[in-house]
Amino acid sequence: MEQHRLDVFQVIADPSRRQILHLLSKDSSTINSLAENFDMSRPAVSKHIKVLYHAGFIEIQDIGRERHCILKQDGFKELNEWLAYYDKFWGDKLDKLGALMNDNLNKK
Amino acid sequence: MAKIIQHQLFYPHPPEVVWEYITNQELISQWLMPGDLKPILGHEFQLRAKPMPEMDFDGIFYCKILEVIPHKKLSYSWKFGPGNGELCDSTVNWTLTEKDNGTELLLVHRDFAGAVSPLILTSMEKGWLSNMHKILNAINAEKDGAAQA
Repeated sequence: MEQHRLDVFQVIADPSRRQILHLLSKDSSTINSLAENFDMSRPAVSKHIKVLYHAGFIEIQDIGRERHCILKQDGFKELNEWLAYYDKFWGDKLDKLGALMNDNLNKK
Repeated sequence: MAKIIQHQLFYPHPPEVVWEYITNQELISQWLMPGDLKPILGHEFQLRAKPMPEMDFDGIFYCKILEVIPHKKLSYSWKFGPGNGELCDSTVNWTLTEKDNGTELLLVHRDFAGAVSPLILTSMEKGWLSNMHKILNAINAEKDGAAQA
């Protein structure tokens, strides 16, 4: 299938595929419930999902008779990096707050 | 994917004192960053840090007070972004509990879900992979936090 060879930018250049990623960033979802968000046919949605899958953005798991789409974490390191950033940020700041209070209040 | 940041600390000072340090901007500037926070419901304010263009961050946190229960609870929205009007949302919640002649402080920074994704997608459009490298470098270089104004 020629879509397998799309590069990452071509993959996300399509608004429907970006919309699918948006939806999956909130929660994993079956192909059927994803399709409900679009005017296009289910096979058309399915085709976009295939593209995202082959580009490594999502995983597909068969649970019972349903196919579940899950956002692949490694493609979304950036969010994790922001979270890691804030985690360290607050840890450092709260230590600073403790030291500041100790300095200011114990002197009095 | 965990989308919540949580820190719990004990400070050997009463909640009234800790409250002052998280709601009085003059004191906030000494440990967090400069800005114009006031503990008044609905008050909109900014906190200013060093811009980090590598992370698509213009250095300004746009905030609005969502809840104030003096000496007990403070919540505000915490928006950040590249400075072109596109902002990622999140909320910062402070809870103070009197305990053992001091204060147990719980900080919860959360509700990133669905809010950071526009940033992700924006960055992807700009050059996803190269951006990720820049972000990693920025984080490694910014060991001291964002708040050095």
